[in-house]
Amino acid sequence: MADVREDILARLLVVVAAIPNLRSSHRSNVDINETQLPAVVVLDGDEETNDSTDLSMRPANRPTVVQLTPGIMIVDQGELVGSALSVLRSELIKRVLTDTELNEQIVKTGRFGNGVIRYLGCQTDLGWARELHGALAMQFLFKYTLRPEQL
Amino acid sequence: MIDYSALLYDPIHAVLGVPATLTVGATEVALSVIDDIKPKVEASSGVQTRGVEPGAFARVPELNARGIAVDDCIGAVLAFNGRSWTVRNFDLIGNPNGEDAGEVRFLLKEAAVG
Repeated sequence: MADVREDILARLLVVVAAIPNLRSSHRSNVDINETQLPAVVVLDGDEETNDSTDLSMRPANRPTVVQLTPGIMIVDQGELVGSALSVLRSELIKRVLTDTELNEQIVKTGRFGNGVIRYLGCQTDLGWARELHGALAMQFLFKYTLRPEQL
Repeated sequence: MIDYSALLYDPIHAVLGVPATLTVGATEVALSVIDDIKPKVEASSGVQTRGVEPGAFARVPELNARGIAVDDCIGAVLAFNGRSWTVRNFDLIGNPNGEDAGEVRFLLKEAAVG
């Protein structure tokens, strides 16, 4: 059994958890506490294919291309939360886009296959709690080959 | 006209108020505040963070009697119940006697250490 989607999400958590100075990292935990900040949350992402337009006689179980777009939230609070989020953002982008296991073994980008990893962008959110609270929602795109026979 | 300070705020502060120290610049005054720390949930893109929103009520007449104008309180340090906070903003809560006879709710943040 090989579920590339789960392999991507599981590896993402390992990659982001290694960012220095984080207090916690989570997979799909949408209820955290201020004592766990700075925190990173890997959110299970939506998937899309182009198969809705494929009305050919292709067998249903043939491989197809999937675009997975998981979200990653960085959350922190403090007087200089803007700068802190920027540092964490830089580390996260660098680590996801250069991680060897993600690129070469799971998604198979470049000369290893036709997979793709792209950073799509981010949105920020600010508010006041005990201190200035900031969140950065980041989106990545992972294009990979879904092989139903291997699931 | 009802005297809200005498009939409402003073008895409430006598029961619920705690001693506090407000430092505005080089001026330090003692006053009574009511601790009003509340739970606060910050939500972003489906992820919620549980924390607190620190706040405290003070009486505007008491502040004025000690020579402090509410307008000068942003950036002041308010110490009570064993913690020190910085006043980051405030809400004026007036009453039928006018805003100068009402309360102020200080919106607080953790005071910078060092």
